[in-house]
Amino acid sequence: MSRITRRDFLKLTGGAGAASALGMLGVSSAHAAKHGKMGAHVVVVGGGFGGATCAKYLKRAGINVTLIEPSTKFITCPFSNYVIGGTHKIENITHTYDALKKSGVNVVHDTVTGIDAAGKSVKLKGGKTLKYDRLVVSPGIDFKWNAIKGYDEKASNVMPHAWKAGPQTLLLRKQLETMKDGGTFIMVAPPNPFRCPPGPYERASMVAHYFKQHKPKSKILILDAKDDFSKKSLFMDGWNKLYPGMIEWVPGAKGGKVSAVDTKTMTVMGELDKHKGAVVNVIPAQTAGGIAIKAGLANETGFCPVDFKTFESKIHKGIHVIGDSSIVGAALPKSGFAANSEAKMCASAIAAMLKGESVADVSFVNTCYSLIAPNYGISVAGVYRVTEKGIVPVEGSGGVSPKEATDAFRAEEAKYAYGWYASITADTWG
Amino acid sequence: MKPITRATIAPMLVLLGAVALPACQTPAKTEAPKAVPITAAAAANMGNNCFTCHGPDGRSPGEIPSLNGKSAEALVKSIQDFKSGARPSTVMARHAKGYSDAEIAAIAKYISSFK
Repeated sequence: MSRITRRDFLKLTGGAGAASALGMLGVSSAHAAKHGKMGAHVVVVGGGFGGATCAKYLKRAGINVTLIEPSTKFITCPFSNYVIGGTHKIENITHTYDALKKSGVNVVHDTVTGIDAAGKSVKLKGGKTLKYDRLVVSPGIDFKWNAIKGYDEKASNVMPHAWKAGPQTLLLRKQLETMKDGGTFIMVAPPNPFRCPPGPYERASMVAHYFKQHKPKSKILILDAKDDFSKKSLFMDGWNKLYPGMIEWVPGAKGGKVSAVDTKTMTVMGELDKHKGAVVNVIPAQTAGGIAIKAGLANETGFCPVDFKTFESKIHKGIHVIGDSSIVGAALPKSGFAANSEAKMCASAIAAMLKGESVADVSFVNTCYSLIAPNYGISVAGVYRVTEKGIVPVEGSGGVSPKEATDAFRAEEAKYAYGWYASITADTWG
Repeated sequence: MKPITRATIAPMLVLLGAVALPACQTPAKTEAPKAVPITAAAAANMGNNCFTCHGPDGRSPGEIPSLNGKSAEALVKSIQDFKSGARPSTVMARHAKGYSDAEIAAIAKYISSFK
């Protein structure tokens, strides 16, 4: 049983005197049965789409929860392509933890430096150690620096990745703004698996939208490690229609794989050719977030194997891994939506486990909208269940937007993309 | 060997004079039938996924319609109409096809609790 601090006690008793609270202990079995283990404490590491949603839904289930997140504000990767394309400001995609704090989540702005799975505690950079009954780890992704020769963290100050939103997003935007008309924007697209499968191609679209208006002689070159990508046919149709001749996509099989970069000469080395860019965006190969790897939660793939119903780690009991860091199979993408959905299922499972109830059947949903232009949206959607094969799409459900559609249909999907963002960010941080 | 489906078993049970048939006798149209009853927690798990697009507790802050304050009957009709195509949609048909009739009823009941 976790340590009950005076502060926890006051919270549980709504500020009633500690003495009367102690008196309650003897007759609290009914309360404990209803609200779970007295003082059971869940710590959530990471305040993104996965972690913030999980903390919120755990709190709704009556669980005492602490959320640890270094930043006081969270800037989302979804919609950061619109900041890069110039249609949105960074303020439009920045969220605070005020609502979560108000709802009773104990939000601690600090960094987890270590996880003691056996001792059930996490160590914070600020010096504190927090005990937990169950831990949720949702640290997003980290990069495989130097997987492309010459591309390390320092190089990202010259050739931004902008695959974690924030200063990197603004840096790439600034480089595009200062680029002369007629220049080439090179994007190095990552190998699978990576965060936000349609993201690189939406980014190319939004940069094209900016170029079309302000730098129409400029070109976009996508050098891809892969031979296919999410919603490819819909993206290609949109590019041909809206930005004819501007975007060139080179698949891995045709020399798209990049082996090295040189930040001094702004050169990208493909297997067949060298390319010089005015602005170069390198999206590197990815792994689970650093803390998950440090805690030994990842396997040889660099991501974390979990039970699909509870998201409990298959390596360390008592620790759940959700969001981009977890391995959920090929079907469910590494997206903010999937992380939000996994977080709800994980919160439901943890609440049941702490209350001694059976874990309910889970269901996952994903919808990824991409804008090819501000009024031209496409989507991919899916409903997923757990079977003996893992997390699989429900037969007959899901899929991508129709290949043939009217301008009004694409505009309506764009409208829903904006609506989706307003809703998911309210569902997560609101 | 031909797999024994719920559709083939149900008439067999009737022939055998079985009386304790499961509540959901008719096989689902497109998806695998769910043998176990849908618990309230499982319905909440499905329903909570709706809020990602339709807003917290069904209250949408943006361009997507809100769901709160609607009756279970109205919600079932909407989802079924999206599923059948009777009501055109951009993405809702793709979602609605992911649920059996019993699941749609359970989701609607859960969401109708948000006023």
